[in-house]
Order: sequence, then structure tokens, then C-alpha cells
Amino acid sequence: MAKKGLRIIVVGAGKVGDTLVNRLADEGHNLVIIDKNEERLTQLANLCDCMCITGSGASHEVLVEAGISDTDLFISVTESDELNLLCCTIAKQFNKNLSTIARVRNPDYISEVNYLRSKLGIEMIINPEYEAAVEASRLLFLPAALSVNSFAHGQAELVKIQIPEGNILDGKTIAYLGQNITNDILIVGVERGADLTIPNGSFELKSGDIISYISTRKTNFNFLKSIGFNTRSVKSSLIVGGGTCAYYLADLLIKSGIDVTIIEKDVHRCEDLCDLLPKATILKGDGTNESLLEEAGIKEVDSVIALTGLDEENIMLALHTKAVSTAKAITKINKITFTEAIESLKLGSVIYPKYITAERIISSARSRQAKIGSNIEVMYSLFSDRAEACEFKIKEASRVTGIMLKDLQLKPGVIISFIGRDGKIIIPTGSDQINIGDNVMVVTTSKGFTEISDILR
Amino acid sequence: MKIKLQLYILGKVMAIEGILMLLPVICGLLYGELRNSVIYALFAIFFIAIGLLISRKKPEKVTIYLKDGCVATALSWVALSILGALPFVVTGEIPSFTDAVFETASGFTTTGASILTDVEAMSHISLMWRSLTHWIGGMGVLVFLLAVVPMAGGSNMNLMKAESPGPSVGKFVPKVRTTAKALYLIYFALTVIEILVLCIAGMPVFDSICSAFGTAGTGGFGIRNDSFASYAPHIQWIVAVFMILFGVNFNFYYLIIAKQPGKAIKLSEVKVYLAIILISTVTITINILNMTNGSAEAARHAFFQVATVITTTGFATTDFDKWPTLSKFLLVSLMFCGACAGSTGGGIKVSRFQIRAKMFLREIGSYINPRAVKKVQIDGKAIDPELERSVSTYFFVFLSIFTASAFILSFEGHDLVTTFTAVAATINNIGPGLSMVGPTSNYSFLSGVSKWVLIFDMLAGRLELFPLIIFLTPMTYKGAFKGLFSKKAG
Repeated sequence: MAKKGLRIIVVGAGKVGDTLVNRLADEGHNLVIIDKNEERLTQLANLCDCMCITGSGASHEVLVEAGISDTDLFISVTESDELNLLCCTIAKQFNKNLSTIARVRNPDYISEVNYLRSKLGIEMIINPEYEAAVEASRLLFLPAALSVNSFAHGQAELVKIQIPEGNILDGKTIAYLGQNITNDILIVGVERGADLTIPNGSFELKSGDIISYISTRKTNFNFLKSIGFNTRSVKSSLIVGGGTCAYYLADLLIKSGIDVTIIEKDVHRCEDLCDLLPKATILKGDGTNESLLEEAGIKEVDSVIALTGLDEENIMLALHTKAVSTAKAITKINKITFTEAIESLKLGSVIYPKYITAERIISSARSRQAKIGSNIEVMYSLFSDRAEACEFKIKEASRVTGIMLKDLQLKPGVIISFIGRDGKIIIPTGSDQINIGDNVMVVTTSKGFTEISDILR
Repeated sequence: MKIKLQLYILGKVMAIEGILMLLPVICGLLYGELRNSVIYALFAIFFIAIGLLISRKKPEKVTIYLKDGCVATALSWVALSILGALPFVVTGEIPSFTDAVFETASGFTTTGASILTDVEAMSHISLMWRSLTHWIGGMGVLVFLLAVVPMAGGSNMNLMKAESPGPSVGKFVPKVRTTAKALYLIYFALTVIEILVLCIAGMPVFDSICSAFGTAGTGGFGIRNDSFASYAPHIQWIVAVFMILFGVNFNFYYLIIAKQPGKAIKLSEVKVYLAIILISTVTITINILNMTNGSAEAARHAFFQVATVITTTGFATTDFDKWPTLSKFLLVSLMFCGACAGSTGGGIKVSRFQIRAKMFLREIGSYINPRAVKKVQIDGKAIDPELERSVSTYFFVFLSIFTASAFILSFEGHDLVTTFTAVAATINNIGPGLSMVGPTSNYSFLSGVSKWVLIFDMLAGRLELFPLIIFLTPMTYKGAFKGLFSKKAG
């Protein structure tokens, strides 16, 4: 049975708002959009199943009209940080059970996120620039991986790699991997072409497969080394464009001892960056100038990150990098949506701040929806919605507790990916068992689980 | 243009028509009309089968743009009218195909203009089907489709926009589907209430159901030759009140259900609508006082006729063709006025006149204060300039279609009143006009060409002109068939 959609109010129909509303509507939520710009609203309302209200999201009257008192989730993603915080604060006054999400981008506020969250009662403060920087930095720390996502409050990582030609994993079963290489990682999904499999022990891996596995950060490096991957992080980075995202990224990289060079056009911004990032090399100039790039060492650095405000410039920079250098290129794309065209350019890693933001908010909405009438603590969607990861808290004895995992009769397409016990993550083997008080993360392709016992046949 | 999407919607609409046709079949069996029941049942099964066959492939997630919505709506309504006419032809009750299509189009568009000279000679099953077409057409078949069939994507609002009456179509709730369901729920509940009230008031059950269908859709097919004249006065009052209720913007009822009666009362369109009814009723009552037996009868006839014309239903309790010119003129004016937007009624709609009148006042103001900046407001909200433009265009297009239709009809050489009101009564979805097409007459004397022109007018009027025009504009189909042909070639 389809789940009942949440009632959600979104303030701001800009880039992120637009993406968000379309995705949320597809998931069957009841959406009300508030924006001051009537034209943008009309465009949205024509193509999307939602109700639009023209006005300010911080206005009492408008919020009442939008039906704030029986709303489940309130999301404010306007251009202005202050307005977002104000909207959430006012919305919260109507309804104590309301979850509020605000987009806040200004670095001035970021150090105070925890204070704002606790004092203003905002459930989530999301910063697209920061999220984009974190995603870029993860890729730079582990250039071998296709993607690295943190999981379970950062205790575990979900890493995606592609098995290259002639790798030792080629032709080996998962059971062989567990017996001979390592027991510390658990493969939760294998993508072969368009198919997604949740593998069991007899599944045979092939070169070209994209595998996703759960591990802790430390074991991850050992595993990658043992299967012959390069696990070194980049040593030097060239960042083109000195905006907020560049600042966050440079900060993260410098803290890990990576050499950072930033090219920025605006002289005042250069000075600001000098103050903020004393260890970085700041160059004033146009990032599209070929000779400047050469001078900045585009041919020598390990990585080039294009973070200018213009998507077209970023794409050109990435193409140029690929043409003249072996450095890993990362491209940030803010606005344009020609997904197929961008994919065909083979730019390498591309970061979309608006998708990251929308994804975070959607997973929060999903998890809230999943909690209704179930024992699910957190829910993530994996592999472009083809699988779900649900975290269950084990409160009482049931058919799954106290039995060795290898003796459990699991449904097909279900895997117990890790057990959280006493603040530690256990990557389980067949001889582990689930105890009362554990947190259990289950990855599954069948959706709609509500109880941990649903994993059994 | 998306051919597959159009076929999918068309198929679903066909299947729905088939399923709804089963209701008269039940009625026919109860009355022992075996031969006709079998014919209707066969058509029903045929429509369901073909419909499901066409729509068995659900198109991939597609965006329905406004033009797709318009074409789908127009196509569905043309198909409904033609398919719905077939049982009439086959049973032999309306042997002429043109007549049968006229009758069915008149039913679905809730016009109520008939070509039947003797309604009482019809079988129960056909009478029921005739009245049911009103009920289906009143709220719209695509709105029904949206309520019962889950459609992918949010763009199906464009379907609802194309079918729903009124200059701007809003939603009560965030989801199109929930809105469509709410609309049908209100519609269904009001219809059931009317059936019950009429039964309690002493009307036979069959008559109650048919009359309620005719009232709910603001249609106007009666099941007696004299429409409502031979029913008891209290039944006439009940029907008149229900006609007015169905001519109210359905937002009004939704707001009451949503426990916001304060907002409901503030809807200015409803107020203007009720005021027009009151003033017209009083004027006509005084005007016809000396023609009737006492003021009570005058008031009843005046109220019933005003209600039937402004809501574009088209029942009659008396032959208003014999009334004085003042009363007749008022009724003809009300024909153009029509009911509220977002109701089941036809006509130009009260809110369009409201917007137009306010635009006129602003125009006057701009002569006095040329630099004044002023926006037209309805219910405290500024009207979008786009909407102003579309309302202005609507009036022009309406006038053009009206004139062109009247021109073609005038070739028949009937008197001006007949020609004029025949077009007015069909394009505004009322039914009876004056003179030769008055309440005691019918449209059967017209030629085939004139009937097809009026069928077009009825459909254009019900769908608010543009969907049908878009449907007939060749530009709409530019590139639509490209994919189809190249696939065959490759």
C-alpha cells in the first residue's frame, strides 16, 4: 500500500525549491509552495502537482492560508539566510510538532549551527555550499572511489568503486572475498549494467561491476590496498573561483595537509580569502585564461576543482584540464540541467549543490514518513531509489534476536549491513547475532518494511 | 503532441462511458425493457473492451502541456458525444445519426436542447441514459478520470484546466487528485440529497433520479413533454432551489466542509450571482403578475425560470415565450450571464462579467487620472494581467463564434428571434430559447447543417471555447506524427 504523503510547505521557488518540489511531488506528498514571485509560481504550478500561494513565507496570514497548523514539514529555501531562519521560527510558533528545515549559506552562521538549531528549534540547517565542499573533499581524499557517502552519523561509509579489468576480485565470489581477503567490509549492492543485485555469498563478481560496500574509514583503506587500489589522497589542488564553496573546500583540504591554490577574479575577495585561509596560495586573475592556468600549475597539480559561478566556465575548465593534464577534475554545476549532455562530456566527477540539498531534505522527509507507524529510526534511499537502507532499533526480543545471522531465513534481496552496539559499528558475519538494544541497518530492494521481523521470509 | 497519451486518455474515457452506461441497463431491466437493455449492455461491454484495449499501455511519465490538455479534452468530448449517440440510433428511438449526436452532445454539454417531439414515447432506459449524460457532463468526465485513475506527474492540472468552467481554475488542496475527488464527492452528495428530497416530496423514484441528474449537471432534459409544468408547485420550488445550488461555485461548498464558512460567505461571485437572481425574479414577478393566478404563482414561475436560465439548466414550468418583452429580454440576458465559475453551469460566467466590469471602471478611472496605477481585484486579490487578457479575448471569441453560427443558421430563413436564441441557448448550454425553439418546442425542424453548427456551439460553450479551437487548429499537430512515421520507415 502506498504511504500517505506528508503535508509539506516549501518557501522559495528558486533553483533548490524547484528541484525539491518536483521530487517531493513525485513521492506523493501534499505540497504547498510560497513565493513572492507569481510568475515562477505559475510555471511551477503548471507542471507540478502542488498548490501555490503568492506572498511572504514569514507572514502570519500567508502561513495560515497555507494550512500551517496541520503541516508536518516546513522547508525554507529562499535566497536569504535571514528570511529562512525567520520563516522557520515563525512557523514553529504555530505547531510544536512541526519539523523545520532552513537553508543557511553564509559562513558567519555556520559555526553557530548547533546554537541556532537548539535555540530556534530548527530540525535541520542545510548549507548547499558546505555540502558540495564536503562531497568534493571526500572525492579528493579517496580519488579511487566513484563516490563516498557517510552513513549512520558518520560512523560508517558507503563506498562505491568499479572493479577494473584484471583485478583480483574478477571472477571471485563474495564468500571467497570474506574468507581470503577481509571480513571487515560488506558488499551491499552490485550494479552490473542496468541491474542492481543485493548479493549473497555465492554471487560472483566480474570486472566492470560497480560495487557498493559498507565499511569504517580505517578498514576501507586496508581493503582498497589489499585489492590493489591506490588509496593515496591528492597532494595538491587548484581551485578556480573563490566563492563560499571554494572557501569551505580549501579549509577542509588545508586541514588535511593538502596544498591549495585558489584563482579568483575579484581583488577584494582575494584579500578576504587571504585573511580566512592564510595557508592557501591566492592568485588574482581570470580562471579562463589559459596562460594563467599554466602558471598556476594545471599540468602539475593532482586535482583541479572548477567552482566558478558560471556553469559553462566550469565545464570548459574541466574539459581543458582533461586535455592538458592527468589531474582529477571536479566540476560544480549550479543551475543548468542538461544532464544527458553533461554525462556525454565525461567530465569525471560532477557536483550539483542543488541536488545534494534536495537529496538531503528528501531523505529527511522520507525518514519522517517512514517513522509513522513503524519502528524505523532512519531511512536512506540508495542506488537512485532502487534500494532502501532502514535503521531499526531493537527494543524487545523477537524472531530475529539471539540467533546467529547465518541461521536467519532472510527474504531475497535483504542484507543486514551493520549492527550498531555500544556506540561501535560491527560489520556482521554469519556468526554474529542481533541483541536487544542494538541498532540494525538493513539494506533491501523490497520497500515498505516497518518492523525488523519483516526481513524474514 | 503525444499521440500515445491522447490514446490512453481517450481509452480511459471510453471505458468510463461504458461503465456508466451499465446504470441505465439496470434501470431498463427493472422496467422489463429487455431488447433495449441488451443493446445498451452490448454497447457498454464494447466500449469498456475497446477502451481498455486502447489504454492498456500506460505512457511513460509524460508532461501534459496545456495544448495536450486541450486536445485531450476536446477529443474526449467529441468521442463521448458520438459514441453515446450510438445506442439511440441502434434502438431506433432516434433513427437519424445527426439527431442522435445532437441529443447526446446536448446531454453531455448539459445543454438540454432536444430534437425529440415526444419525450414520453421514449423507453425508460433511453430517458435514463439521456439524463445520466447530463450528470457526467456537469462536472466533467476528465475530472472524474483524474479522481479515479492515478496519473503520473503533476501536469495533469492542465487537463482539469481545459475542462473546468471559469476563467481561472484553482485547487482546494495541493493535489489534483484530491481536488478532483473532493469535487465529485460534493457533486455526488448534493445529487443524492436532491433525489431523496424529491422522493420525500412525492415525486416518483424514476422521475426523481432523472430530474436530479438534469439539475445536478444543470442540463435540462425533462422526461415529460411539458418539462416541469405538470409537477406539483412544491416540487418546482425544490428543483429551482437545487438548480441555484448547483450554479454556485463549488469552492463555496468546499470552504464550508473545510470549516471556513467565513471565507465562503466572502466569495463575491456568489453574492453577485444571488443578487442577480433576486433582482431578476422580483422584476419578472411584477411584470407577469397580471398573466397568472395570484402573486404566489407569478413568483414561482418567475423564480423557476430565472433559476433555470441563469444556471443554464433549461427546465420550464410555463411557456415563457408568451411572457411580455421585458421578461423575455431579461431571461435572454441571463442566458449570456450564466452561473458561477467552478460550478456545473454554462454561459459566460458571473466572474468574467465581474472582471470585465471592474476593468471597465478602471478604464474610466484612467481617463480621469491618466497616471493612476490600479489593479483589478476580486475577493481582495489582484487579478493577474494574463487573466485579464484571457477574459477580454474570451468575450471576443465568444462573439465571433456566436455571430458566425447565427449567420449560418439564418440561411434557413426563420425569424430573427428563433435564429438568435437558438444559438444563444446552445452556446450557453441552456436548451430552450424563444419563438420556434421555445420551451414547448424543440430543435427537430432544423436542417442537418444547422444541427452540426449547434453541436459545435454546445461543445465550444461547455469547454469554454479554447480547447475546441486548439483542437481544430492545425498548428497544434505540428510534428505530432513525425515519430510515428519515422518509426515505420525505419
